[in-house]
Amino acid sequence: MSALDPQVAHQLAEDLPPDVFRTIISTFEEDLGRLAQELAAAAQAGDQDGYERAAHSLAGAAAAVGAVGLEREARIAMDHRQPEAPASVLPRLMTEAKAALEALHDLIN
Amino acid sequence: MAARILLVEDTPTQAEIAKAMLRQFGHEMRHAETAGAALAMALEWQPEAILVDLILPDFSGIELMRRLRAAGVDAACIVLTAHGSVNTAVEAMREGATDFLLKPYAPARLRVTLDNALEKRSLRQALDTAQTALGRERFHGFIGASPVMQAAYRTIESVAASKATVFITGESGTGKELAAEAVHQASPRKSRPFIALNCAAIPKDLLESEIFGHLKGAFTGATENRMGAARAADGGTLFLDEIGDMPPEMQVKLLRFVQSGTVTPVGGTRAEQVDVRLVCATHRDILAEVQAGRFREDLYYRLYVVPVALPPLRARAEDVVLIARHLLGLYAREEGKAFEGFDGEAEAAIRAYPWPGNVRQLQNVLRNTVVLHGGETVTRAMLPGLLLHAPAGEMNAAPPAAAIAVPAGSIAIPVGETLAASEKRLILAALEQAGQDVPRAAAMLEVNPSTIYRKLTAWKKA
Repeated sequence: MSALDPQVAHQLAEDLPPDVFRTIISTFEEDLGRLAQELAAAAQAGDQDGYERAAHSLAGAAAAVGAVGLEREARIAMDHRQPEAPASVLPRLMTEAKAALEALHDLIN
Repeated sequence: MAARILLVEDTPTQAEIAKAMLRQFGHEMRHAETAGAALAMALEWQPEAILVDLILPDFSGIELMRRLRAAGVDAACIVLTAHGSVNTAVEAMREGATDFLLKPYAPARLRVTLDNALEKRSLRQALDTAQTALGRERFHGFIGASPVMQAAYRTIESVAASKATVFITGESGTGKELAAEAVHQASPRKSRPFIALNCAAIPKDLLESEIFGHLKGAFTGATENRMGAARAADGGTLFLDEIGDMPPEMQVKLLRFVQSGTVTPVGGTRAEQVDVRLVCATHRDILAEVQAGRFREDLYYRLYVVPVALPPLRARAEDVVLIARHLLGLYAREEGKAFEGFDGEAEAAIRAYPWPGNVRQLQNVLRNTVVLHGGETVTRAMLPGLLLHAPAGEMNAAPPAAAIAVPAGSIAIPVGETLAASEKRLILAALEQAGQDVPRAAAMLEVNPSTIYRKLTAWKKA
């Protein structure tokens, strides 16, 4: 299953000039690094609010570029009604993040 | 069309995508990452549309919209929301959002949503402006919400910014000087002088000196230099009231002044340039004056650039009580009386009377009532007798001449007919000649229109 929703990611790549699309992917990569760190730190500190807030931002960023798998895992992390331990969510989330980034870079190239 | 768009989004990836799309659409765009920053930016920049993320680091997008509205920011707000928060988006719509966009959104969807929101805002603004213009009860010194007065307000507003000469017509007491002052006050000249001169009130030998000034020794009694109204109004507005009464020799001099923009004081030889906006007024039918050869045609065309017709009070039935209430409050304060309003019968009598002397007559009646009586409410019995005997419904009636037999063409007055009957015959014939236009008939007969209205009322009652 593709890490990207073609309706979103491919559409962006088609609609925007290549340099603008590249800037967006680069911004997404920065967001990903920062938010993954915040997520891990909040999980370690037992800061539920911080954990949900970082997961929410990550879901938004992922949705914006069509990273559907990453968005799904981030939404599981931010949903306090069906808690799943960070220890089980975070590894899946990181796998999806890596897959999304690779797919996006493939789009640039 | 390029518009000012404020983007409120705290996730950099989402902000970057939205910014790229907005740039493609050609909009001017600013970005805030927090609600607080957005509020400050909106107050300073006054965007036309705001794209608001609902979840922000400091306070929510909904709270931001409440604060924006409270601060008077008139922007179309479009809420950006994810699938899971559609209910919140609906709540945002209740709080005044124009629309919402589900994230992620395609450029075409953003463009359509934004264009619709901007168009809706523009239509609402146009509607607000029109409603304000239609619903004005006051305009500078005027009181009146009737459609005829709204039309007069709009003309005054439209012409105020230009230097075009304004020609105000209307019966005595309709507020011609008030209209001239409104033109001046609504114009860029409002900080400069407004000089008013009543051409009918100044002896014709002195009129030239009053308008253009004189030099010391120019004539007997000219013991000092005098500036004159035209030079005193330099940079501002010169209002020549009752210009229809200006003697012919003075009309020539006024024409020269209008054509050249220069004034030469009586006794002087050097013309001086002045920058004056001219406003003229007359209670006469000026075209009839031109046709009768009493007013120069060339001057008429120079002055009759933007006409403003002030309606008589009987043509603005809905305004009479409004003005009466205002005047009652004013005079009660001035005279130290306790009057607060009219009873139903008094209001009905005021509404029914045709007010041939217009607002000036209404002013006199109310001043008289306030001075002579006391209490909190003006009753019918406190009003002067002439109001109480006016037939009901007169305000909306056409001049009653049509109800009376009118002789056609020229008239023959039988010897031995009473003076009153001949007068009636003559007035009705003049009205017929003037197409039932009372001011024109009055101009033909060289009487005040109020005289004709008074006569018509009396004949109708008889």
